[in-house]
Amino acid sequence: MSESFIKNIPVQEYDVVIVGAGLAGTSAAMDIQKAGKKVAVISKLHPLRSHSGAAQGGINAALSAEDSPDLHAFDTVKGSDYLADQNAVEFMCQKAPETVRWIANCGAVFSRSSDGHIAMRPFGGATKPRACYAKDRTGLALLQTVYEQAIAAGVRFFSEWYVSDLIYKDGVTRGVVAFDLLGLNYTIFNAKAVMFATGGYARAYKVTTNAHANTGDGLSIVARHGLPLEDMEFVQFHPTGLAGRGILISEAARGEGGRLYNSEGERFMEKYAPESKELAPRDIISRCIAMEIREGRGVGPKKDAVEIRLMHLGERLIMTRLPELRDLAITFLGQDMIVEPVYISPTAHYSMGGIPCDIEGHVKKDSRGTIVTGLYAAGECACVSVHGANRLGCNSLLDALVFGRHTAETIINDLNNGTLILHKVTAEDADAAIGEVEGILHSKGEESVPVLRDRLRESMTENAGVFRTEESLLKEREILAELSERYRHIHIDDKNRVYNTDLEEAIELGHMLDYARFIVEGAIARKESRGAHFRYDYPERDDKNFLKHSYMFMHSDGTIKIEYGDVHIGKFKPKKRIY
Amino acid sequence: MEKKRITFKVFRFNPAVDDLPHYESYVMEVKKDALVLDILNRIKWEFDGSFTYRRSCRHGICGSCSIRVNGKVVLSCKENVFELTDIFGDLLVLEPQNKQKVIKDMVIDRVDFWNKYTEVKPFLVAKYDEHPEVEARVSPDEASLMLDSDICIQCANCYSVCPSVRVNEKYYGPAAFVKAYRFIVDTRDHNKKERIDIINEPEKGVWDCVKCYKCAEVCPKGVNPIEKITLLHNQVFKEGRAKNNVATRHAIGFKKSIQKNGFLDEGFLVRYSEGIFGTMKHLREAFDMFRRGKIKMPWNMPSKPKKMNEIKQLIKVASKIECRRKW
Repeated sequence: MSESFIKNIPVQEYDVVIVGAGLAGTSAAMDIQKAGKKVAVISKLHPLRSHSGAAQGGINAALSAEDSPDLHAFDTVKGSDYLADQNAVEFMCQKAPETVRWIANCGAVFSRSSDGHIAMRPFGGATKPRACYAKDRTGLALLQTVYEQAIAAGVRFFSEWYVSDLIYKDGVTRGVVAFDLLGLNYTIFNAKAVMFATGGYARAYKVTTNAHANTGDGLSIVARHGLPLEDMEFVQFHPTGLAGRGILISEAARGEGGRLYNSEGERFMEKYAPESKELAPRDIISRCIAMEIREGRGVGPKKDAVEIRLMHLGERLIMTRLPELRDLAITFLGQDMIVEPVYISPTAHYSMGGIPCDIEGHVKKDSRGTIVTGLYAAGECACVSVHGANRLGCNSLLDALVFGRHTAETIINDLNNGTLILHKVTAEDADAAIGEVEGILHSKGEESVPVLRDRLRESMTENAGVFRTEESLLKEREILAELSERYRHIHIDDKNRVYNTDLEEAIELGHMLDYARFIVEGAIARKESRGAHFRYDYPERDDKNFLKHSYMFMHSDGTIKIEYGDVHIGKFKPKKRIY
Repeated sequence: MEKKRITFKVFRFNPAVDDLPHYESYVMEVKKDALVLDILNRIKWEFDGSFTYRRSCRHGICGSCSIRVNGKVVLSCKENVFELTDIFGDLLVLEPQNKQKVIKDMVIDRVDFWNKYTEVKPFLVAKYDEHPEVEARVSPDEASLMLDSDICIQCANCYSVCPSVRVNEKYYGPAAFVKAYRFIVDTRDHNKKERIDIINEPEKGVWDCVKCYKCAEVCPKGVNPIEKITLLHNQVFKEGRAKNNVATRHAIGFKKSIQKNGFLDEGFLVRYSEGIFGTMKHLREAFDMFRRGKIKMPWNMPSKPKKMNEIKQLIKVASKIECRRKW
């Protein structure tokens, strides 16, 4: 690393810096800007390319007379296998109706019922139809709307800028170090408050619905400063990914009446969940599909998929409510759902775990809930926890929007009441980040990033996927240790500073290797089955020992220590989940 | 699964090391279900890590990954390779969406595109409650006026093939007009007047569209931008905001010519829309057009079609269809 980088590094000062420009980050930025604070949003993509836009099915809100926020909360808690914090769930479900109306009034183009109200459809694990939708591209509608309103408010975006480190010293948050992809010029963003809204971490799996960008960078950045990550072992596998590709076929397909069949033509969900069948929650359906495949009743050339049939819904319904899904199945598998079944199998989809936060969006530094001054998180990267061990469909957009905006409110209050001040940075604060980036840029090892990444993602799908055992997880622990060691000897082909995505992918792999260990360690220690975490060797839920959140800390020597924290139980006492 | 060997000739330019762009060839066995994005990934991951392109969602919703294959603009995550070889054969040439704006390999500078997006004020202007008890109602009929303009993913395919954008840097281009249209038909919006002014501006506005339909052809989401541009033309007249200028006279002259002759009299159209002095500027083109038979002398005019009444009736009906749309 040359000296000049450090001396000349520019510093920009803000009240608030937000990392990530999806639904949570952008909606927060809009509110903070409107409150008259100086805010910058830094995103490695153009904001409209964020993965919030890929959400398909809808956003939950108890808008109808027959429904209530209480019922919504109950479904969410039951869906979470009772691991969600009920105070947070109640808050989210209470806020849901006004939040959905608000985003609609801001311009979001929802599908409408004949009387002009926002249309709603049934979704898995929900006792009433409460998924408000915009055809099958709800995320796109919402992301566009918050971005539009954010630029109307005058929010400053740094698009295609990569945040490589958090400046956190002596228990105080000071800002972030970032560089522009275009020219690899470093800048320190010195801020009173930093909010992470960096999205999920399912990219660590080979078969996933996630975008290339969803490498969970924010989580590792936080963890490398000795701060904990919570409930990382809970990764949601969506039951209906296009076979082989993992591309998402929204739960809306089942919400509208899609049915699952095995190779024997049996509608197998009837035997596993006689009451709700295809509308059971995702963790349950994913396991059922995996079980059918495991027992030899799969379809397709490798018999590694099952069928979803939508033919009975008719062309008109499919074209008006599920046009995007039809298009996807045709593009990727050449299967037209109007006339034939589509092959699907479970795919890594959503991260229930993440950066521990309280309801207000403050990042917590331990299982007792001590907060980190000046650091906030919201959206999929955060763990509040409203999803517990398994998220319900259409609660993710809700989570991002409710907690994105609520965290903004917290930040504005914290700024106004003087809790937050600007802790000046020095050029040395960027040393570690620049050292890491320049080190990779000039690396001369023999290991290849794509090779290590493939190995990581394949082995995670194999060993830490829908079904887990002590044996598979210990094996994965070994593999991750080996990959982390090999990662120290990587090289990259591109040594230049202009738009270097080779460098970006290498940095991202470092993050993935770090947080993957949290997933595996959390899964090894959790000797029970709950929600999305299913252990063959411990197939039952164990409330006595594990009705607890796991908080995991990475030490400087790379070992991970786990402590457990209480779950906030409210009016819904843990019961066996029957659907 | 069926496989075949395909040669990819790939545009490469890295400003840090190259003075000029060049092409490199990569040969690989490709499976029948491969998409163009799979190929971009394989080039980067198996051949040369410095190969650079934008991508994210990998299923046609984020709009990052458009490039050109043998000149055809495609959203690479939605384009099947075998379907392209059916058209172009087993040598596929991969190039950036716009070679004039290359930053590196497939990555182009999109500043102009995003600036134009912002210039059409792409946000709802309405007074809304921060904690609403009720939502603004929108009937399904009103919602259907959007005509899918709300699903544009800003991939810029239309923008990159638009001939008017190429010759006139100021022209907003199809994607921006789709955005403008999306808000003009939104019954909740309070900014219609200003929006019409924006798209009605000379040079920048809708009047520079040459109706080539390329934007509709290349849209990966079926948004059909020219349909929206045409509706915006109509809207400008309907709102009484059309100014007497070349562009609007061109539109009116077009109709008049058909009404009068049953066919398009190009000479008349130029005289009508540009006036005598304006026409003088085009003498050179006029001469060329005359030589090629596009302009005819009055005595050589083809005779009117036999069923003039039917043509007049069609014009009448077409004018009514526009009126029936609820704006």
